[in-house]
Amino acid sequence: MEAIVKSEKDTRKKKSTNKKKWTKNTIIYLILGIFSLVNVYPIVWMVINSFKSESEFIVNQFGFPKVFVLENFINAWEIANLGVLFKNSIFICVIATGITVFLGALASYFLSRFTFKMNKLIYTFFIFGLLIPIHATLVPMFILMRNLGLLDTPVTLIFPYIAFHLPITIFILTSFMKAFPKDIEESAIMDGCGIFRVFWSIILPMSRPALATVVILNFIYNWNEFSFALVLINDPGLQTLPLGLANFAGQFTTNYGAQMAGLTMSLIPIVVFYLLLEKEIVQGMTAGAVKG
Amino acid sequence: MHLTKKSKVAIIIGILPALFLYILFAIVPIIQSFYYSLMEWNGISDMTFIGFDNFKKLFQEPLFWSSVKNNIYVVIASVLGQIPIALFIALLLNRKLKGVRIFRTIGFLPVVLSTVVISLTWSLIYNSKNGMLNELLRTVGLDGLTQNWLGDTKWTMVAVLITIIWQFIGLYLIIFLAALQNVPEEVLEAAKMDGASEWVTTFKITIPMIWSTIIVAVILCISGSLKTFDLIYVMTNGGPAHSTEVMALYMFNETFSKLNYGYGSAVSVFIFFFSLILIFITTKLLKGKMI
Repeated sequence: MEAIVKSEKDTRKKKSTNKKKWTKNTIIYLILGIFSLVNVYPIVWMVINSFKSESEFIVNQFGFPKVFVLENFINAWEIANLGVLFKNSIFICVIATGITVFLGALASYFLSRFTFKMNKLIYTFFIFGLLIPIHATLVPMFILMRNLGLLDTPVTLIFPYIAFHLPITIFILTSFMKAFPKDIEESAIMDGCGIFRVFWSIILPMSRPALATVVILNFIYNWNEFSFALVLINDPGLQTLPLGLANFAGQFTTNYGAQMAGLTMSLIPIVVFYLLLEKEIVQGMTAGAVKG
Repeated sequence: MHLTKKSKVAIIIGILPALFLYILFAIVPIIQSFYYSLMEWNGISDMTFIGFDNFKKLFQEPLFWSSVKNNIYVVIASVLGQIPIALFIALLLNRKLKGVRIFRTIGFLPVVLSTVVISLTWSLIYNSKNGMLNELLRTVGLDGLTQNWLGDTKWTMVAVLITIIWQFIGLYLIIFLAALQNVPEEVLEAAKMDGASEWVTTFKITIPMIWSTIIVAVILCISGSLKTFDLIYVMTNGGPAHSTEVMALYMFNETFSKLNYGYGSAVSVFIFFFSLILIFITTKLLKGKMI
């Protein structure tokens, strides 16, 4: 008898905690749902409306388009010169990211695996770059580039992008390479490997996770950079995507459809990049942000 | 590694290219901005050395001080808006729930997008004629609340600040999530065994355990807010009537629109020291570690 009462009590207790848990989870999901909606709806709103004609946009802003107007996209592509902007952005991004990561990895290798007099000083000097506010360098950068004859050329932006992203690149790679066991190079050297061979065949392959992180970080920074592009590039044929879009929107303020179509197209590469590499991006951002 | 003559040469070959580019395109400009700040110069004619006159002029300029004030608004809104919301959502996402990954993916998305795209999207949202915000207010019958969000000095700063908060919550969310995952499970289990409620566990154990990360996030948030430029440049260009102008934008306009290179450099130097000092003070106040 007692046992039955007890087990009944237990199930009742279980039921009430289950119900409590259910209510709690519902509230949590509700909050997360609202958060996600606020986060993603502005973008979704813009993408959906990029398919509407001007007249439909005015009367039906929140629904799905009744007729999909692809003309907006053709207009935007032509007016904003998106083909050229994409080409410039990809060119600068790939070259700047490649050089930054390669030179950064090489420097990190010597800074992390060798002991020499200036080691600590050079490392600190590089890391100091994390504290330099980019905007404080815009004026002298413009004048420096003018003096070097590097204003408004296809490679102009590559130089500041490399210089300003070397600190975070070296920071992440050095701390990663430092963690390798001490004698890792020794046997290779014994086998007659040169110092650079060790770097290329042993250290670089071992650093793959950290390399992925810095490649992604550099790519996102370079792809989105605006200030240097604004100051150093004038020629519409040399503009990068953010700069070209800003000018396009500034000139065609009333053509909502084309504006939204242009923005939507510019979103595609970076959103695809993000969704494909989300895990690494998140890890990279965390490593970069927490430490930087 | 054992150093030989050969390895010394290798070190030089290995470090020099990075060091050269870094010095030429990052260190030289920052040093030059100190030098230019002491000059009167329009960028073309000869420079005239005028000592600290640019700074004297700067400190007497009401527009400059209003840009400092606006910059401080950005800092305050970011720290008070982004950090608590991000921490709260991170605590929710740190539970064993189904579908957590999707919320995380969506939460971080704005951080990856370019500031220019975000500014343009939000400009469309705030558009007084056909913007989403006014349309939404009209749809729910609150016509009286519609505003010219980006054209009215009363509202523009608020509109800009909301966009800024929106943009970077995801960054701190990810940082906090990473920190929360490092909190050992046993500690939380033990608290649960002792009968501590979830509130108590969160405030007495979880948050203190990630306190150093919270400090880093606050410092990042402050230094990031001081760099605000692209968003305001694209959304309002500091207007209307300078009501959203921040330091970097003031510097940009003085230099590249009015061609006061010396004076603009003085603003740059001010931004540099202002950032350093503010980061230093926050670090000391919160007893964190710099970098």
